[in-house]
Amino acid sequence: MKQQLPAIEVEGLYKAYHHLIAVENVSFTTYRGEAFGFLGPNGAGKSTIVKIITGLVAKTQGTVRVLGQPINSMETRRRVGYLPELPNFHRWLKAQEFLEFHGHLYGMRGAALQKRCREVLAQVGLAGKEKQKLGTFSKGMLQRIGLAQALLNQPDLIILDEPVSGLDPVGQHDMRTILLHLKAEGVSIFLNSHQLADVEAICDRVAIIDKGHILKMGPPQSLFDEPLTIDIHLNAITHELLHKLGAVSLSVREDPDAPCHLLIEVQDEEQAADVAAVVHTCGLRLYSLAPRHRSLEHLFLNTIDMSSYQG
Amino acid sequence: MGLLLITRFTLHEAMRKRIFLAVVVLSVVLLLGFAILFNFVVDASNGPPQLSHDLFLLGIGGFMSIPAIWLVYLLSSVLTILLTTNMLSGEIDAGTFTIIVPKPIHRFEIVFGKWLCYVLLLTAYTASLFFVFLVVIYLKTNYWPSDALRALGILELAVLVLMGLTTCGSAFVPTMVNGAIILVLFIGAQISSFINLIAPFVAPSAKDNVQNTTIVISLIMPTDALWHGSSFYLTSGASTLLQAAHINTPFTSTEPIAAALLVWAVIYALVLPLCGAWRFQYRDL
Repeated sequence: MKQQLPAIEVEGLYKAYHHLIAVENVSFTTYRGEAFGFLGPNGAGKSTIVKIITGLVAKTQGTVRVLGQPINSMETRRRVGYLPELPNFHRWLKAQEFLEFHGHLYGMRGAALQKRCREVLAQVGLAGKEKQKLGTFSKGMLQRIGLAQALLNQPDLIILDEPVSGLDPVGQHDMRTILLHLKAEGVSIFLNSHQLADVEAICDRVAIIDKGHILKMGPPQSLFDEPLTIDIHLNAITHELLHKLGAVSLSVREDPDAPCHLLIEVQDEEQAADVAAVVHTCGLRLYSLAPRHRSLEHLFLNTIDMSSYQG
Repeated sequence: MGLLLITRFTLHEAMRKRIFLAVVVLSVVLLLGFAILFNFVVDASNGPPQLSHDLFLLGIGGFMSIPAIWLVYLLSSVLTILLTTNMLSGEIDAGTFTIIVPKPIHRFEIVFGKWLCYVLLLTAYTASLFFVFLVVIYLKTNYWPSDALRALGILELAVLVLMGLTTCGSAFVPTMVNGAIILVLFIGAQISSFINLIAPFVAPSAKDNVQNTTIVISLIMPTDALWHGSSFYLTSGASTLLQAAHINTPFTSTEPIAAALLVWAVIYALVLPLCGAWRFQYRDL
């Protein structure tokens, strides 16, 4: 099964800059066709790991394999696309020249390269900008042309470091659409991002990293080990109701900011359905029952906070 | 092949950047200025009665070939320093390597691709300027150094030595540091020549020490020694009048360059870029 083939294998990775340890004993594996998200605050070591994976930075210790090969394998590099965090490109080049140069680096030539250049420019929304110099591009346009060069070789694995930084909301939406499209095509994605909403929308699995360590890793939903809070709005609150709700939930408390609102902690969504049934049996009217969404942002902040506290 | 791709790309970049164009335009302006002034001087000059006019013109041609080609040496050296001190460090600082290095290309191909481009560009520039200046002199005086190709070869070697230093430096240190080091060494080598020239007159007892120091400086920065070697071949076929003018100056030499120094310079020009490539291979970007 394609999912079981590893895309990126990192084992016991360690990177030190003189006395500063940037990455310490990091291990993870991403799989083919999977979208893997890397989350962490500034200075957590995630960009260092991305740079090690792309061969820009040498590891101090550990093993890294990309698409089953060592990172310096030319064959592997031909199958990988990379968009760096900062779009520092040769600004004296025109968009078409820029793509042709990077296409040549991938070993692409002639009409096939020209065709592919047109395709990727259209894909990133820069059709018609072929003759424009990169020096005149906005930051968002640079980010798009950066993505275009990463897609030129129709990669099996695409590594993106903060791909939406500098993009306006439309650009962010377009980027998300492109990534979801690539994911649907079976391209493996490694996404390093601060945009938690994007990671949540795109990634099958997420790793949270801080101070050079991976703190949590797994599918976003499986990382939540705290109860679900639901907010219910009723026509009245009775002692009988509170008593019965106490029996089917973990905790019940009145919302101090809103009358006739209760905040109820349940283990899962099944228990939330029990809450609705209890309200009904008590003869009360239920105006709304809304789970307070457990966002990745919430999880991220909690995890980082906990790590700092433990640290 | 990745190396030639980088060479072509760097050539494209050099042509697009205004610094190369500016130096070429300035060189043409200097050449025109030289040609006009030289024309005035030759037309207005009258040789001593004991010399034929043709012989006198040959003398002027031989004499003027020294400052003319020294200008070529200076322009080539300045252009080499300006164009190549940021060869690697400029792109490292700008972050442009971050999308090139992960591509299917070896790091050494990036270094030698760039190096090869500048070798072609700078040696072509030096040779063009060298021949154009000599042609201007020849047209007015009929003087053509019999060892012009040797003189050019040594001049080109000086350019390659400078490029070796800049290539190596740009892999190790930032552009400004690299530029400062190269300039100090380049000017220092020139100054040591001056001191070496005046030492026997002003401080005869320190002559040996000064000479030894100059040799050490020449080993670190052989460009000035190479210029002196080149200047010898510029005047070696000149008339007796010119032979009489053969005295050691900061710009000329009465002896050919030592073979050992020549070998050292060739090794220097080849090994330093290799050191730069080795450093670039292992440095974090």
